[in-house]
Amino acid sequence: MNKNYLFLAILMILLAAGLLLVPERQNYQQIKPEKLMWDITQTSRFVTVDQVAQMIIEGDPTLELIDIRPAKDFEAFSLTNAINIPLDSLMKPDYQDYLGIEDMNVVFYGNSDIKADQAWVISKRMGYNSIYVMQGGLNCWIRKIIQPVEPEESASQEEFDLYQFRKGACAFFTGTKVEAPDAGKTGIKVVKRKKGTAVAGGC
Amino acid sequence: MGPLIPQEIITGQWDFVIALLIGGAFGFILEASGFSSSRNIAGVFYGYNFVVLRVFFTAMIVAMVGLLYFSYFGWIDLDLVFVLPTYLNSMLFGGFLMGLGFVIGGFCPGTSYTAVAIGKIDGIVFATGFLIGVFLFAEGFPFYEDFYTANDLGNITIGEMFGISNEWIAFLFVVVAIVAFYVTWLIEKRVRKNMTEYKFE
Amino acid sequence: MDTKIVKKQQPKYINPYFGGILLGLLLLAAFFIAGRGLSASGAVKLLVVTVVDKVAPAHAEGNAYYSKFIPADGSSPLYNWLIFGAIGTFFGGMLSGAIFGRLKKLRVEHSPKISARTRLIAAGAGGILFGIGSQFGRGCSSGAALSGTASLSFGGLIVMALMFGIGYVFAWFFRKLWI
Repeated sequence: MNKNYLFLAILMILLAAGLLLVPERQNYQQIKPEKLMWDITQTSRFVTVDQVAQMIIEGDPTLELIDIRPAKDFEAFSLTNAINIPLDSLMKPDYQDYLGIEDMNVVFYGNSDIKADQAWVISKRMGYNSIYVMQGGLNCWIRKIIQPVEPEESASQEEFDLYQFRKGACAFFTGTKVEAPDAGKTGIKVVKRKKGTAVAGGC
Repeated sequence: MGPLIPQEIITGQWDFVIALLIGGAFGFILEASGFSSSRNIAGVFYGYNFVVLRVFFTAMIVAMVGLLYFSYFGWIDLDLVFVLPTYLNSMLFGGFLMGLGFVIGGFCPGTSYTAVAIGKIDGIVFATGFLIGVFLFAEGFPFYEDFYTANDLGNITIGEMFGISNEWIAFLFVVVAIVAFYVTWLIEKRVRKNMTEYKFE
Repeated sequence: MDTKIVKKQQPKYINPYFGGILLGLLLLAAFFIAGRGLSASGAVKLLVVTVVDKVAPAHAEGNAYYSKFIPADGSSPLYNWLIFGAIGTFFGGMLSGAIFGRLKKLRVEHSPKISARTRLIAAGAGGILFGIGSQFGRGCSSGAALSGTASLSFGGLIVMALMFGIGYVFAWFFRKLWI
């Protein structure tokens, strides 16, 4: 009888010791492919450069900009308060603290959409939420915010408002003098963005 | 894959059928192990019968190690398994009262149900007392509502608390349990030799 | 004393380690199926809530503890996993008692040193203490100590350690009840 108990005890210890030997489980809580598919097909992950510009200007504390370009490019030019996490380093443990912060909206950007979108998919797979992609990337940023094109005279009031906003934002980011805006329109806070505004996208 | 019900793999009325079956197996094992007798249970405090310690610790290490293996094989998502939240002050006090109730009453709620089921009047009285105790607690709740939720550590695991992996915690539990089995076996042998009037009922 | 008679007096309990392994596997199955362990005290809590809600609904609504467990949709708190589990526990115990020949007429089990009356008073007092303690401890020996610790909850470990520890501390004072 005692021999059986000894056998059982050794078996139990071996089983428990086995737990110590198996490789560590993945720390990431991966989401299901179906869920990922659904998320990818939604366009709600995109934010426009105008939205990002406005959040920066307003000093939105929930905005966390992440520049996924290589460090060299980041040093040459980056958006205000952006953090540099090159795409190939995204999964390094050092950077995980930046991604899972509660109440923070992470916005990825690169030169264009593509790299940022890849970063988005990887982060999504790692189980992070509240992550977004800046649509059009820095190319779109330059084209729209830094060098805004004045709309034609036949354009709608909304387009003019947006143009005014961009001019103001341009001044904010580049430090150039802004032209005096039209009467009744004040520089930066003009645009009250509505959902589905046609002019918002387009890069 | 698991747990099945939180992931809605099993839904609807089957919940309650499964609850009945799991509860039934629980009651059967408790009774068959001898937990319907308060004298068997209380023996753990006096060294003449360690059945509580044996069953309790064996069940705990089997479930603990099994759970971690299930998680490793991807059969169960540990994030969906309920981890009892820790409210330090309240739980220390609760544990104190339960320890006292345990050594005086000789049952705990689950075992008292099985004692009732086989016709023990002391089981019925304990279960009634338990019900009254819950009622008293609820009636007085406004007086200690703050104490009840004080020092909330959240759904913290033992490993997180001590800063080591839960696999190590499970391993330590197994070692401690097996040492305890051996030591209590020695104690029990010695105590029983000097004890004449104890017999099972 | 004839050893044969002693053997006959010993009821047929299963080997405690075998019982423990079965209980452990059952607990594992409960985690796998329901995502939670075993529970015994929750059913009594819901029973108390239901009765108070029936007798004095306004009082139950006004008490933060009762109102926590009254379903918002107006259904009965009794229609719950915990209640069915407790009913199962009762009948499971009865089945085992019947199989092993322990299901007999009503009786009080007590140490020969104390009267049945003393035993019942102790059982009632212990029950009340356990009832209050289980609510502070977020569960009893099965819900908090066993299932909690098995799912590696720190709170479960505290309840288990305190429960057994305090039991040993006070065991000497209550030894007359048992030995």
